[in-house]
Amino acid sequence: MNLLLALVVAVLFGTGATLLLKPDLFRVVVGLMLVANAASLTVIASGLSRGQAPILPLTGGEAVSDPLTQAMTLTALIIGFATTALLLAMAYRVYTTHRSVDLDALSRSERSAEEELERGPAVEREETRAS
Amino acid sequence: MSLLVAPLMVLWPAAAVAALGDGRRRPVGWAVAGVLAVAVALLGALAVRVAADGPVEVVAGGWPADVGIRLRADALGVTLALVSVAVVLAALVHGVASRQSQRLFPALMLFCAVGLTGLFLTGDVFSFYVFFELAMMSAYALTALGRERRMVGSALIFAVVNLLGSVLFLIATAGLYRATGTLEMLAIADRARGVDPNTAVVIAVLYFVAFGVKLGLFPFHFWLPSVYGSAPPAVAAVLAGALANIGAYGLLRFEAGLLPRELALGAGVLVGLGSASIIYGAVQAVGRRDGREVLAYSAIGHAGYVLVALGVGGRVALSAAALFTVVNALGKTLLFLAVDLRGPMVATAFAVGAFSVAGVPPSAGFFGKAALFDAGIQAQSAATVILLFVGGALTFVYLFQIYQHQFWRPHPEDRPAPASARAVVAVVAVVVLALGLWPEPLLALSNQAGEALVGMVP
Repeated sequence: MNLLLALVVAVLFGTGATLLLKPDLFRVVVGLMLVANAASLTVIASGLSRGQAPILPLTGGEAVSDPLTQAMTLTALIIGFATTALLLAMAYRVYTTHRSVDLDALSRSERSAEEELERGPAVEREETRAS
Repeated sequence: MSLLVAPLMVLWPAAAVAALGDGRRRPVGWAVAGVLAVAVALLGALAVRVAADGPVEVVAGGWPADVGIRLRADALGVTLALVSVAVVLAALVHGVASRQSQRLFPALMLFCAVGLTGLFLTGDVFSFYVFFELAMMSAYALTALGRERRMVGSALIFAVVNLLGSVLFLIATAGLYRATGTLEMLAIADRARGVDPNTAVVIAVLYFVAFGVKLGLFPFHFWLPSVYGSAPPAVAAVLAGALANIGAYGLLRFEAGLLPRELALGAGVLVGLGSASIIYGAVQAVGRRDGREVLAYSAIGHAGYVLVALGVGGRVALSAAALFTVVNALGKTLLFLAVDLRGPMVATAFAVGAFSVAGVPPSAGFFGKAALFDAGIQAQSAATVILLFVGGALTFVYLFQIYQHQFWRPHPEDRPAPASARAVVAVVAVVVLALGLWPEPLLALSNQAGEALVGMVP
């Protein structure tokens, strides 16, 4: 079971990491979702044990499975859901301001803004030309 | 209601209520500032109590101690919580005074303060993660609020990179739970000695990468300059002065406090990466012209000092790292808030901040640098002392380059900033000077912090 979980986590993390490196913004968001779910599975795997459900009243003598990892996973999933919503909202914002979800186009426009900055404000250029 | 829970109980409901209000209206902004001021006062009172009587603990919900979630304020946590929330307050007042135009700005600042207070005051690794995500999520939203083209793109990269860091943190926490069977920091510190060394090293490295990303250390810094450079001054001040503390605190708490043997194994790597950060940040900063970009690279450089101190190790160096984090946060906040304003009072305040960050008396930064020098001398490491000196000299050069560029040349197109925004900058400058002239409380707290970190592992 542990081996199976490890394999699933590895595949999820690997796929997510590959998608994170793509230039398309929505693929990046999906990649991050996959990576976050790989982390949730890791949390589940960290407390994997056989036993009865951890709900009171317990039947005596039987082992209880670890409730803490289940609570942690639930919290991590909720946080992951919120981050996905936030990221999608931000990606949409990028789309409305740049009219593109291509990260290469984004960095091109950023670079041109930087070059603008390097050249300095107009007043200064006048000064250097005068001197 | 205990003093430890009070700041959270004040901030959290206020944040929820503020999210409903319209933050563009100034009364809402000032009310939020009032709430934050109350939280700062409560944290100050808690800091006084911790300094006098040692760590304060509460188990949430009245559960037995090993079942419930434990809140725990020791010297390191309470000092950083106090400074971070104070930085958020200063940034909020600055934002409201300079008529920021975002509806959610005050509420997001409050949520950020909730997260910061919670994560510094918790004794439980998983609730640290929850509060940490709360603070970071408000930061992502804050950086994305602007309408500028450049801002949105850099905010998205900031969010993606830092979320990846958070995922690594979660995986490391799962590993730590598997290895020690508990999430409580004190119990983990106690049991970490029995953990298989290979497992412990993997966990320590994962934590290091997670917090290195937050702090913007040299190999993980690539997201930082564009975010710091394009965010509005108030948000940049929160990022540099409050959220960067999370990275420093995480490294101190998780590496030095919980996994000190693994930290000692990697000491050489830490000093190497720290030195690379210091040199890289300083050289890049000297070569830049835009004031905020210079400050962003300066933040990368100053993250390196914390790492070098961690690598040197021992009580003196850890105290120095804590002290340096606090004074550096204050200095960076002052510089980010002052750099876009004009006027003689702002220029003086900027000079105070520059002296503090460069480590010149009588500002607070001097004691941070002096403590680092002390740690380097006690470790008998000539290289560390030389590195600190060169880093300090370069800091001086690039900060006064900005000073000359921003405050000595006429900028005819600029309108003077509103008086209340300038007043905030002046107040922060006075705090930095006051801590430099009367550093005893801060020194006492940072000494206690160093002792507490060394003492976590019996």
